[in-house]
Amino acid sequence: MTTQFDRIFHGLSAESGKFRVAASGMAWKAEDTEGVTAVPSGDIKWAQWFRVARNFQLRVGLKDRRRETFDGFMREDHDKLAAILKQHFGITLEVKDVSFKGWNWGVTDIQGQELAFLVSNKTSFELPLNQVANSNIAGRTEVSLEFAPSGSANKKSRSGMDEMVEIRFHVPGTHTRIRGSDA
Amino acid sequence: GSGGKEGKSWRRFQSYKGEAALPKEAENLRIYVDRKAQTVILPVHGFAVPFHINTIKNVSKNDEGDFTFLRINFQTPGQLAGKKEDTPFEDPDATFVRSVTYRSPEGHRFDTISKQITDLKKEVNKREQQKKEMAD
Repeated sequence: MTTQFDRIFHGLSAESGKFRVAASGMAWKAEDTEGVTAVPSGDIKWAQWFRVARNFQLRVGLKDRRRETFDGFMREDHDKLAAILKQHFGITLEVKDVSFKGWNWGVTDIQGQELAFLVSNKTSFELPLNQVANSNIAGRTEVSLEFAPSGSANKKSRSGMDEMVEIRFHVPGTHTRIRGSDA
Repeated sequence: GSGGKEGKSWRRFQSYKGEAALPKEAENLRIYVDRKAQTVILPVHGFAVPFHINTIKNVSKNDEGDFTFLRINFQTPGQLAGKKEDTPFEDPDATFVRSVTYRSPEGHRFDTISKQITDLKKEVNKREQQKKEMAD
Protein backbone atom coordinates (compact mmCIF):
# COMPACT_ATOMS: atom_id res chain seq x y z
CA MET A 1 0.00 0.00 0.00
CA THR A 2 1.37 3.40 -1.00
CA THR A 3 0.49 6.65 0.72
CA GLN A 4 0.92 9.84 -1.28
CA PHE A 5 1.31 13.48 -0.24
CA ASP A 6 1.08 16.23 -2.85
CA ARG A 7 2.81 19.62 -3.06
CA ILE A 8 5.91 18.53 -1.18
CA PHE A 9 9.33 20.12 -1.66
CA HIS A 10 12.63 18.28 -1.56
CA GLY A 11 15.23 20.21 0.43
CA LEU A 12 15.14 23.84 -0.70
CA SER A 13 13.74 22.99 -4.14
CA ALA A 14 11.60 25.67 -5.72
CA GLU A 15 9.57 23.00 -7.45
CA SER A 16 7.05 20.90 -5.59
CA GLY A 17 6.33 17.26 -6.22
CA LYS A 18 4.70 14.09 -5.00
CA PHE A 19 5.96 12.27 -1.94
CA ARG A 20 5.16 8.57 -1.61
CA VAL A 21 5.72 6.14 1.22
CA ALA A 22 5.42 2.36 1.00
CA ALA A 23 6.96 -0.64 2.78
CA SER A 24 9.85 -0.57 0.28
CA GLY A 25 10.82 2.99 1.16
CA MET A 26 9.99 6.57 0.30
CA ALA A 27 10.35 8.61 -2.88
CA TRP A 28 9.86 12.18 -4.04
CA LYS A 29 9.13 12.99 -7.66
CA ALA A 30 9.21 16.51 -9.06
CA GLU A 31 5.99 17.81 -10.59
CA ASP A 32 7.40 19.01 -13.91
CA THR A 33 11.01 17.95 -14.23
CA GLU A 34 12.59 14.50 -14.12
CA GLY A 35 13.90 14.84 -10.58
CA VAL A 36 13.43 11.76 -8.38
CA THR A 37 14.80 11.11 -4.92
CA ALA A 38 14.33 7.60 -3.56
CA VAL A 39 15.16 6.33 -0.11
CA PRO A 40 15.05 2.54 0.33
CA SER A 41 13.56 1.30 3.59
CA GLY A 42 16.83 -0.29 4.71
CA ASP A 43 18.54 3.13 4.77
CA ILE A 44 15.97 4.83 7.01
CA LYS A 45 17.15 5.26 10.61
CA TRP A 46 15.09 8.03 12.15
CA ALA A 47 12.55 10.75 11.37
CA GLN A 48 11.87 14.20 12.77
CA TRP A 49 9.08 16.75 12.38
CA PHE A 50 9.81 20.51 12.31
CA ARG A 51 7.75 23.60 11.63
CA VAL A 52 9.63 25.38 8.85
CA ALA A 53 8.83 28.19 6.40
CA ARG A 54 6.91 25.95 3.99
CA ASN A 55 4.71 24.49 6.71
CA PHE A 56 6.08 21.24 8.15
CA GLN A 57 9.26 19.37 7.37
CA LEU A 58 9.86 15.65 7.48
CA ARG A 59 13.52 15.07 8.13
CA VAL A 60 14.78 11.56 7.52
CA GLY A 61 18.10 10.28 8.87
CA LEU A 62 19.88 7.73 6.69
CA LYS A 63 22.31 4.98 7.58
CA ASP A 64 25.43 6.69 6.24
CA ARG A 65 24.74 9.78 8.38
CA ARG A 66 23.17 11.56 5.46
CA ARG A 67 19.71 13.01 5.67
CA GLU A 68 16.94 14.15 3.40
CA THR A 69 14.36 16.82 4.09
CA PHE A 70 10.88 17.18 2.66
CA ASP A 71 8.93 20.39 3.26
CA GLY A 72 5.30 21.29 2.66
CA PHE A 73 3.44 18.89 4.93
CA MET A 74 0.39 20.20 6.74
CA ARG A 75 -0.15 20.11 10.49
CA GLU A 76 -2.83 17.45 10.09
CA ASP A 77 -0.48 15.18 8.09
CA HIS A 78 1.47 14.45 11.25
CA ASP A 79 -0.62 11.62 12.65
CA LYS A 80 -0.97 9.84 9.33
CA LEU A 81 2.75 10.14 8.61
CA ALA A 82 3.72 9.04 12.12
CA ALA A 83 1.53 5.96 11.76
CA ILE A 84 2.93 4.88 8.37
CA LEU A 85 6.56 5.47 9.40
CA LYS A 86 5.93 3.29 12.43
CA GLN A 87 4.15 0.66 10.39
CA HIS A 88 6.60 0.45 7.47
CA PHE A 89 9.96 1.21 9.08
CA GLY A 90 9.39 0.78 12.80
CA ILE A 91 10.55 4.34 13.57
CA THR A 92 8.97 7.05 15.68
CA LEU A 93 8.37 10.49 14.17
CA GLU A 94 10.04 12.76 16.71
CA VAL A 95 8.43 16.19 17.08
CA LYS A 96 11.04 18.96 17.43
CA ASP A 97 9.92 22.21 19.07
CA VAL A 98 10.60 25.39 17.13
CA SER A 99 10.77 28.85 18.70
CA PHE A 100 8.74 31.75 17.32
CA LYS A 101 9.57 34.19 20.09
CA GLY A 102 11.52 36.51 17.82
CA TRP A 103 14.57 36.69 20.09
CA ASN A 104 18.13 36.99 18.81
CA TRP A 105 19.78 35.43 21.85
CA GLY A 106 20.11 31.79 22.79
CA VAL A 107 22.53 28.89 22.68
CA THR A 108 24.39 27.34 19.76
CA ASP A 109 24.61 23.59 19.62
CA ILE A 110 26.36 21.34 17.10
CA GLN A 111 23.91 18.61 16.12
CA GLY A 112 25.52 16.29 13.59
CA GLN A 113 26.36 18.43 10.56
CA GLU A 114 24.15 21.28 11.68
CA LEU A 115 24.79 24.25 13.88
CA ALA A 116 21.51 24.74 15.72
CA PHE A 117 20.53 28.02 17.34
CA LEU A 118 18.20 27.36 20.25
CA VAL A 119 15.99 29.95 21.94
CA SER A 120 14.60 28.84 25.30
CA ASN A 121 15.60 25.26 24.45
CA LYS A 122 13.64 25.29 21.19
CA THR A 123 15.17 25.32 17.71
CA SER A 124 15.14 28.75 16.11
CA PHE A 125 17.09 27.76 12.99
CA GLU A 126 19.85 25.46 11.82
CA LEU A 127 22.85 26.11 9.61
CA PRO A 128 24.36 23.33 7.47
CA LEU A 129 28.05 23.38 8.39
CA ASN A 130 29.02 21.61 5.17
CA GLN A 131 27.84 24.68 3.23
CA VAL A 132 29.98 27.15 5.15
CA ALA A 133 32.39 28.64 2.63
CA ASN A 134 34.40 30.65 5.11
CA SER A 135 34.42 31.47 8.78
CA ASN A 136 36.11 34.18 10.69
CA ILE A 137 36.77 35.22 14.26
CA ALA A 138 36.63 38.98 14.43
CA GLY A 139 37.69 40.29 17.77
CA ARG A 140 37.27 38.33 20.98
CA THR A 141 33.55 37.88 20.83
CA GLU A 142 32.48 37.77 17.19
CA VAL A 143 32.27 34.78 14.87
CA SER A 144 31.12 35.04 11.27
CA LEU A 145 30.02 32.28 8.92
CA GLU A 146 29.83 32.84 5.18
CA PHE A 147 27.74 30.74 2.84
CA ALA A 148 28.44 30.32 -0.85
CA PRO A 149 25.40 31.54 -2.79
CA SER A 150 23.95 28.68 -4.79
CA GLY A 151 22.41 30.40 -7.78
CA SER A 152 25.18 32.58 -9.13
CA ALA A 153 25.11 31.29 -12.71
CA ASN A 154 21.37 31.32 -13.34
CA LYS A 155 20.19 33.64 -10.65
CA LYS A 156 16.49 33.39 -11.43
CA SER A 157 16.48 29.62 -11.11
CA ARG A 158 15.28 29.50 -7.54
CA SER A 159 12.22 31.68 -8.02
CA GLY A 160 13.69 34.62 -6.17
CA MET A 161 14.30 33.13 -2.74
CA ASP A 162 16.36 35.41 -0.54
CA GLU A 163 19.71 33.83 0.17
CA MET A 164 21.54 34.38 3.41
CA VAL A 165 25.21 34.85 2.56
CA GLU A 166 26.60 35.71 5.99
CA ILE A 167 25.70 35.49 9.66
CA ARG A 168 27.62 36.92 12.61
CA PHE A 169 27.32 35.79 16.18
CA HIS A 170 28.26 37.61 19.33
CA VAL A 171 29.80 34.94 21.54
CA PRO A 172 30.72 36.06 25.03
CA GLY A 173 34.24 34.69 25.35
CA THR A 174 34.94 34.80 29.03
CA HIS A 175 31.70 33.35 30.36
CA THR A 176 31.73 29.84 29.00
CA ARG A 177 28.50 28.28 30.01
CA ILE A 178 27.79 24.61 29.82
CA ARG A 179 24.53 23.98 28.09
CA GLY A 180 21.90 22.65 30.43
CA SER A 181 23.63 23.72 33.62
CA ASP A 182 21.82 26.21 35.77
CA ALA A 183 24.85 26.94 37.89
CA GLY B 1 20.93 64.17 34.02
CA SER B 2 18.07 62.84 36.05
CA GLY B 3 16.80 59.35 35.49
CA GLY B 4 20.06 58.13 34.00
CA LYS B 5 20.88 56.01 36.98
CA GLU B 6 17.52 54.31 37.29
CA GLY B 7 18.75 51.42 35.16
CA LYS B 8 16.25 50.34 32.57
CA SER B 9 15.06 46.83 33.08
CA TRP B 10 14.47 44.32 30.31
CA ARG B 11 10.87 44.24 29.18
CA ARG B 12 9.52 41.02 27.79
CA PHE B 13 8.43 40.85 24.15
CA GLN B 14 7.49 38.04 21.80
CA SER B 15 6.77 37.81 18.07
CA TYR B 16 4.36 34.86 17.91
CA LYS B 17 2.75 32.64 20.51
CA GLY B 18 3.07 29.54 18.35
CA GLU B 19 3.70 28.22 14.86
CA ALA B 20 0.09 28.69 13.78
CA ALA B 21 0.47 32.47 14.08
CA LEU B 22 3.21 32.59 11.45
CA PRO B 23 1.89 34.55 8.43
CA LYS B 24 1.37 32.77 5.12
CA GLU B 25 3.97 35.02 3.42
CA ALA B 26 6.75 33.16 5.28
CA GLU B 27 6.25 30.30 2.81
CA ASN B 28 7.91 32.27 0.00
CA LEU B 29 11.37 31.96 1.59
CA ARG B 30 11.73 35.70 1.26
CA ILE B 31 12.27 38.36 3.88
CA TYR B 32 8.88 39.55 5.13
CA VAL B 33 8.07 42.47 7.39
CA ASP B 34 5.03 41.67 9.54
CA ARG B 35 4.08 45.10 10.78
CA LYS B 36 1.22 43.85 12.94
CA ALA B 37 3.50 41.53 14.90
CA GLN B 38 6.33 44.12 14.87
CA THR B 39 8.48 41.40 13.42
CA VAL B 40 10.82 40.71 10.52
CA ILE B 41 10.74 37.11 9.30
CA LEU B 42 13.98 35.88 7.78
CA PRO B 43 14.33 32.71 5.72
CA VAL B 44 17.28 30.70 7.08
CA HIS B 45 17.94 27.44 5.23
CA GLY B 46 14.28 26.56 5.05
CA PHE B 47 13.31 27.87 8.49
CA ALA B 48 11.14 30.96 8.89
CA VAL B 49 12.90 32.83 11.66
CA PRO B 50 11.09 35.74 13.30
CA PHE B 51 13.06 38.61 14.80
CA HIS B 52 11.09 41.10 16.85
CA ILE B 53 11.80 44.71 15.89
CA ASN B 54 13.18 45.27 19.42
CA THR B 55 16.10 42.97 18.56
CA ILE B 56 16.96 44.94 15.43
CA LYS B 57 19.39 47.83 15.56
CA ASN B 58 19.43 48.98 11.93
CA VAL B 59 19.68 47.89 8.31
CA SER B 60 22.13 48.73 5.57
CA LYS B 61 22.01 48.05 1.88
CA ASN B 62 24.57 48.10 -0.88
CA ASP B 63 24.74 47.19 -4.54
CA GLU B 64 27.54 45.10 -5.99
CA GLY B 65 27.36 44.19 -9.65
CA ASP B 66 24.12 42.34 -10.41
CA PHE B 67 23.22 41.91 -6.76
CA THR B 68 21.98 43.91 -3.83
CA PHE B 69 23.07 43.03 -0.32
CA LEU B 70 20.91 43.73 2.70
CA ARG B 71 22.48 43.56 6.12
CA ILE B 72 20.42 43.53 9.28
CA ASN B 73 22.26 44.44 12.47
CA PHE B 74 20.88 43.29 15.80
CA GLN B 75 21.08 44.59 19.32
CA THR B 76 23.83 42.77 21.20
CA PRO B 77 25.79 43.51 24.34
CA GLY B 78 29.24 45.05 24.07
CA GLN B 79 28.76 47.09 20.91
CA LEU B 80 30.77 50.24 20.58
CA ALA B 81 27.74 52.40 20.22
CA GLY B 82 29.55 55.63 21.05
CA LYS B 83 26.77 56.34 23.50
CA LYS B 84 26.26 55.05 27.00
CA GLU B 85 25.30 51.42 26.99
CA ASP B 86 21.78 51.46 28.38
CA THR B 87 20.06 48.75 26.39
CA PRO B 88 18.96 46.10 28.86
CA PHE B 89 19.28 42.41 27.99
CA GLU B 90 17.48 39.44 29.41
CA ASP B 91 20.64 37.33 29.31
CA PRO B 92 23.78 39.30 28.38
CA ASP B 93 25.92 36.14 28.58
CA ALA B 94 23.93 34.29 25.91
CA THR B 95 25.07 33.88 22.32
CA PHE B 96 23.51 36.57 20.12
CA VAL B 97 22.87 36.80 16.40
CA ARG B 98 24.70 40.03 15.64
CA SER B 99 24.01 40.42 11.93
CA VAL B 100 22.74 38.62 8.88
CA THR B 101 23.35 39.51 5.24
CA TYR B 102 21.12 38.57 2.32
CA ARG B 103 21.71 38.72 -1.40
CA SER B 104 19.14 39.37 -4.10
CA PRO B 105 19.12 40.25 -7.80
CA GLU B 106 16.04 42.41 -7.07
CA GLY B 107 17.48 45.64 -5.72
CA HIS B 108 14.18 47.49 -5.64
CA ARG B 109 12.61 44.86 -3.40
CA PHE B 110 15.48 45.13 -0.92
CA ASP B 111 14.98 48.91 -1.06
CA THR B 112 11.39 48.42 0.02
CA ILE B 113 12.25 45.94 2.78
CA SER B 114 14.99 48.20 4.10
CA LYS B 115 12.52 51.11 4.26
CA GLN B 116 9.82 48.97 5.90
CA ILE B 117 12.19 47.85 8.65
CA THR B 118 13.50 51.37 9.25
CA ASP B 119 9.95 52.76 9.37
CA LEU B 120 8.79 50.05 11.78
CA LYS B 121 11.77 50.73 14.02
CA LYS B 122 10.97 54.47 14.01
CA GLU B 123 7.32 53.82 14.73
CA VAL B 124 8.09 51.58 17.70
CA ASN B 125 10.69 53.99 19.08
CA LYS B 126 8.23 56.87 18.80
CA ARG B 127 5.54 54.93 20.63
CA GLU B 128 8.06 54.00 23.31
CA GLN B 129 8.99 57.67 23.71
CA GLN B 130 5.35 58.71 24.02
CA LYS B 131 4.77 56.06 26.68
CA LYS B 132 7.74 57.36 28.63
CA GLU B 133 6.44 60.93 28.45
CA MET B 134 3.01 59.81 29.65
CA ALA B 135 4.61 58.05 32.61
CA ASP B 136 6.54 61.15 33.71
